[in-house]
Amino acid sequence: MTTRKSSSKPRAAKPKAKPRVAAKAKASAPKAKKKTPKATPTVSVAPAPVAPEPVIEAPEPVTASVAAPIAAIADFVVDDDTELAVVQSDAELANLFIAEALDHLGTIEQKLLELDERPEDTSLLNDIFRPFHTVKGNASALGIVSVERVAHKVENLLDLARSGRIQVGAEEVDLVLRSVDVLSLMINDVGLRLAGQPRTVTGAEAASLVQQVERQMAGQLEGGGADTAPALDAADPVLVADPVEDETPAAPATGDQPGFEQDRRGATPSRRRDDVPMLGGTATAIKVDTRKLDNIVDVVGELIVVQSLIAQDPALSALVDGRLARNMAQLRRLTADLQRNSMALRMVPIRQAFQKVARVVRDQSRKAGKPIDLVITGEDTELDRKMVEEITDPLMHMARNSVDHGIEPPDAREATGKPARATVSLSAYYQGSHVIIEVKDDGAGLNTERILESARRKGLIAPDANPSPEDIHRLIFEPGFSTAAKVTEVSGRGVGMDVVRRNIESLRGRVDIRTEQGHGTTFLVRLPLTLAVLDGLLVRVGSERCVLPAAAVRESLRPKPEHVHFVQGQPRMVQVRESVLPLVSLGALLGMGAAAALDPSAATVVVVEEGGSRIGLVVEELLHKQEVVVKSLGDSFASVRGVAGGAILGDGRIGLILDPHGIVTMVREGSRRAA
Amino acid sequence: MSTHGTTGRFQREELVGKYLTFALGNEEYSVPVLKVREIIKIMDITAVPQVPQYVKGVVNLRGKVIPVVDLRLKFGFPAQDYTERTCIIVVEVALANGARMMGIIVDHVSEVLNVTGEQIEQTPEFGDEIQTDYMKGIAKVQGQVKILLDLDRVLGVDGTIAMPQPSAA
Repeated sequence: MTTRKSSSKPRAAKPKAKPRVAAKAKASAPKAKKKTPKATPTVSVAPAPVAPEPVIEAPEPVTASVAAPIAAIADFVVDDDTELAVVQSDAELANLFIAEALDHLGTIEQKLLELDERPEDTSLLNDIFRPFHTVKGNASALGIVSVERVAHKVENLLDLARSGRIQVGAEEVDLVLRSVDVLSLMINDVGLRLAGQPRTVTGAEAASLVQQVERQMAGQLEGGGADTAPALDAADPVLVADPVEDETPAAPATGDQPGFEQDRRGATPSRRRDDVPMLGGTATAIKVDTRKLDNIVDVVGELIVVQSLIAQDPALSALVDGRLARNMAQLRRLTADLQRNSMALRMVPIRQAFQKVARVVRDQSRKAGKPIDLVITGEDTELDRKMVEEITDPLMHMARNSVDHGIEPPDAREATGKPARATVSLSAYYQGSHVIIEVKDDGAGLNTERILESARRKGLIAPDANPSPEDIHRLIFEPGFSTAAKVTEVSGRGVGMDVVRRNIESLRGRVDIRTEQGHGTTFLVRLPLTLAVLDGLLVRVGSERCVLPAAAVRESLRPKPEHVHFVQGQPRMVQVRESVLPLVSLGALLGMGAAAALDPSAATVVVVEEGGSRIGLVVEELLHKQEVVVKSLGDSFASVRGVAGGAILGDGRIGLILDPHGIVTMVREGSRRAA
Repeated sequence: MSTHGTTGRFQREELVGKYLTFALGNEEYSVPVLKVREIIKIMDITAVPQVPQYVKGVVNLRGKVIPVVDLRLKFGFPAQDYTERTCIIVVEVALANGARMMGIIVDHVSEVLNVTGEQIEQTPEFGDEIQTDYMKGIAKVQGQVKILLDLDRVLGVDGTIAMPQPSAA
């Protein structure tokens, strides 16, 4: 498959060896230098660009190919098998390409959002152009023609914009954003197909995108002035392949050529300069398969356990030896240090998640016709990689809610004396061993009465209940509050906010709301820094020891006999100060240990709070607080409820880590079943 | 012996090789040596709720959490106290989403056998009361019958430890 059917001489067959060199030597400056001398005006007249190198190079192919062949849908659908074969021939390289390309597309998206705010900043165009060019080049080198074609078209548009020949407005940004989406899909699809799954992306979307890009270019160029007169036939909505071969030289060869050249010369060094930090970056940062990192963290976890096993070994502690004690202390320090460092390996900035949110805010504000300024702070705050992935969706959801329901239409805002442009801010910062993420809007705030009203109507609270405003606001996180669209409209908030809460709680975090009517709403998300280590409370249940996440434990007590209330001969309730809590024997619930009624006044009651409800768990004994390394029990136990994982305890045995959410749900369901 | 046993899934050549044999009651079973990661003495097992009785729980194998299945209970033998000779054989099992280490508790480990083609026979059909689909075949060695286990079947192909109810042996 070739890129350009009608191209002529300089297009040599793609060197077989190129992909390997290309991908490995990407962004290597010397390569670019070698290429630069070619970037003479003559090249800009030549109709056919050489096969693009994935290295940073002078943009000659682009300038020349403004009028390159035009999309026909067939171009984007047929090359299935050839492409796949090419990719399969070097799967490793293809995977590298996929990872990198997606990375680049992420960068592009981010820069596009900046460009949307500051369309006059032309350096951003360069920042967008460069990774785009790399993606195109790499795709071409690998022979992933469909990707290359789309990227190529969009690159043309970007190049025209860069050279100032077309204006960049919201429409162009939209278009390029869309192309980022399409390309991501296509590139992901390559990966999926590589893994043996059927092709899911058809060429239709790509083709329509390319046509739109062409139309956009043509429209702008035609409107732009006489010098581009012979440009494209492209106002024609249905574009036929290949009408433009002879027109190709026309566009670049017209009057503005010198300026164009100059611009290019100006652009080249600036890109070089930009490359320096990139190269510097590769020297201090490497890409590593996340599985390798996880392995290190695993092994270090084991090391910690063994270290503590040795330290606690009775045979060793019987020895009284100063040197041994010193060395053991040193070992402990070093292993703890190693653990901290290995944990840090998994930490990534939250930027990636924020970027997706930024995109949502932008799209949504456009759709809803509400101009919004997005203020982002603390995007360098680092979190466990998995956490960043998992928190993205809830954040997007909250931001979408803020734009949709929180922020009033511009005229309504002006009527209340607020600026028509709303502000949504997104920030992250550390607080102790937690990260706080805020999603804040300056919209109308939650409407307490309406929420109360609809919650009553839905039967979420008793008709005569008189909850505090905070409790009312938390109702939007209740499942069932937000399922009906009608309710959402009335209440103003809450599409799937219960899902948001559940996701955050599954990350052992919590979400709170601060709202002031007329002044806006803030969602406060509080997350632990990492999922790998848990602050736990060790309890004994029968012969087993279990770990309760300390975050969920409110208090523990040994109730006085008169505070334990019996139902049908069983201790079922405990009075803790003013409130009466359901009492559940953990051993009986999990089917471990003595299921026989444990006398709560002789045992210990641990009060656990989850999702707003508190229960008292009866355990035999409260042992101590301990930081544990969380291990998955594996798929074999995926269906076990109330258990979140396993932790290796000081003596080498495994203690089950309990899942408060699961336990509370089990209790709730149990009582429902009984009712 | 029937020649069209239900375990005709396997070619004889596939089954040739080294096997680790172990005892459950008076019966001898075996698993391919290549599947065995290690053999450890019975140790403290942490029980996990809501699982079948034969799933004894999880153990810590040098920092890895490994599920342990009591093969006696799995195959419907009466429960028996663990002794000095009771072992956990750590094996690699192919599950729906990749290989996983698991432990099987056996009465005692016997020996490593080299099973040749002539010794292998297809699993005979026993009728309805005995499930044979987790047997790959049988090997007759020195007058004794060793059952060649299909571990992937015994320990659940679907990725959970839920297994077909064993019929009484």
